Amino acid sequence: MCVCILLESLSVAVPVDSDNPTMEEPTVKGTVTPLSSMFPAEDAQRAAKRVEDALSEKQQELNQVKEFIADNSNLINLVQKLPEELHHDIMVPFGEAAFFPGRLIHTNEFLVLLGEGYYADRTSKQTVEILNRRGKALESQVNSIKAMMQDFRAEASFFDATANEAAEGLVEIREEYVEENSSERVSDSGSIKQRSSSFSEADNNNVEDEEYARMMFRLDELEQEELAAEIDNEVDEDNQNQGNTAKSEEIDEDEVYARMMSRLDEFEQEELAAEIDNEVDEDNQGNTAKSDKESDEDEQAITDFDQFSDQIARDQKFTHSEELRSSKPPQQTKDKKTSEDFSNNYRRQQDFSDDQSCTDLTVQAVTRDIVKSSNADKASILPEVKENVGAVPSSKYEVSAESSKPGIDSSKVSAQTSKSGFDIQKAFTGSVVEHTPEIETSTQEQIETSSKPSKLVSRFKMQRR
Amino acid sequence: MDNYRQAKVQKFEEFVDRRLKPDLVSAIAERDKVFEQQKIFSDLRRNIENLEKNSVTSLRTMVNLGSEVYMQADVPDTQRIFVDIGLGFHVEFTWSEALNFISQREERLAGQIEEYTHLIASIKAQIKLVYEGIRELLQLPAERSIQEPIF
Repeated sequence: MCVCILLESLSVAVPVDSDNPTMEEPTVKGTVTPLSSMFPAEDAQRAAKRVEDALSEKQQELNQVKEFIADNSNLINLVQKLPEELHHDIMVPFGEAAFFPGRLIHTNEFLVLLGEGYYADRTSKQTVEILNRRGKALESQVNSIKAMMQDFRAEASFFDATANEAAEGLVEIREEYVEENSSERVSDSGSIKQRSSSFSEADNNNVEDEEYARMMFRLDELEQEELAAEIDNEVDEDNQNQGNTAKSEEIDEDEVYARMMSRLDEFEQEELAAEIDNEVDEDNQGNTAKSDKESDEDEQAITDFDQFSDQIARDQKFTHSEELRSSKPPQQTKDKKTSEDFSNNYRRQQDFSDDQSCTDLTVQAVTRDIVKSSNADKASILPEVKENVGAVPSSKYEVSAESSKPGIDSSKVSAQTSKSGFDIQKAFTGSVVEHTPEIETSTQEQIETSSKPSKLVSRFKMQRR
Repeated sequence: MDNYRQAKVQKFEEFVDRRLKPDLVSAIAERDKVFEQQKIFSDLRRNIENLEKNSVTSLRTMVNLGSEVYMQADVPDTQRIFVDIGLGFHVEFTWSEALNFISQREERLAGQIEEYTHLIASIKAQIKLVYEGIRELLQLPAERSIQEPIF
């Protein structure tokens, strides 16, 4: 039993990495680890010997210092005694191997070394003071040496104990100890491990997951809101359409349109998820909050303008179609250089629009990524540019959505409705409102585009760090 | 055979490390001591010659009391000088006697130095010899560029 206690103290004092081999096998219970394998007796003895050597060295140093102290006290006595007489008969050393018979004179005058080759003429009293100060310095030296020696002694006794135990072969007991406390130890080490790993990887993952969950939750909320808004719009449209029986085809078109939009949503969500996955190590709560705020604002604006734009669009639908289409690309180019690309894309997509909707979607996704990268590049330079550019892809997105729509049904009408809305809103409010007609896409797009550049910026910052 | 050779080499090396090298170190230390003595006596001789030349009859000097604390000392008569003749004996000499003794002493010390120098040379030669033996045992090619420790 006493051996067990010894071992416990030993295993506590042992460095952690040497403790681990036994601890890191939670599945195998009671691994046999003889003490001598971890601390070979010779090694322990060698270590003990080394410590002993250091100890003896210190002892010598201590003796020397003590000698100095004795000399110093003798000298103090001498210096105090010398002035008592006018002169003392002594043998005056002449070199190292010869003397003259002589005597000390001026017995109250001492020449004392202050250090660095400077000497001072001092009286007996003053000299004694100096010597006392020297004595104090020596005493402190002795104390420090003694403390060091104590440390060495503790170390030596520990090494000796280890060596003895290793030599005695405490194999089984060591094993038994591990077995008994293995569960506790393993759980401890496991928790520590978890904690440590959570600092490195799992924590990131957790944060990431958390963030992802938050994002997804937010997305769901937005979607529901948008869905509700859309339903309202549809109701409005239905009401309007009930008035206008001639536009009954519009309802079909809206349904198709809604279907397309939901699909777009799906794609977007997938992409969003992928992007969130990609952005692993970022902890941009501030960014998400910002994006949330922005999206909220956008939503409001969007819902406001949506009805308005729908109405206007419906009015202008048939009349201004050609005009608007012709007028649109220039307005897009107004935005920025990148918007030219988008208009090009738009044209291309319109070309493709009659063929397939799905291919357009994919193409659009790719272009959007490019846009994002460009956003990221510019975002670091100009925030205003970022705003504009951030708005542009959404407009382009609309365009593509529209262009995808025509593949199924009467293309130009719907495209123009959205376009007219786009133009008008732009005339009204500028950049923020540009992407009103497609609520879902625009808002989500906005989330992405608004959160994306900032995220990327922060990531650059991270990299710079 | 290989083991035998190994053991032999080890024995030689141990001989060099445990016997010859400590001997060499101690011999060098002894010779240094003698050098010191020689220096002391040559200094003393120079000092006495100085006193003679300047015909100094009384002397005032500083005496070290220990720990670099000095006090003035007066020597009223410099004619008689006590010189260490070894084993803690000091003999009272006049200047001429002292100088005579010092010259004899210096001769003796020079002889001692010679002795120690020979001793050191022989120890070094033995070390070299043993190294040569080790080299032969290991059948290494003889290298004329001597790469042994320099003492």
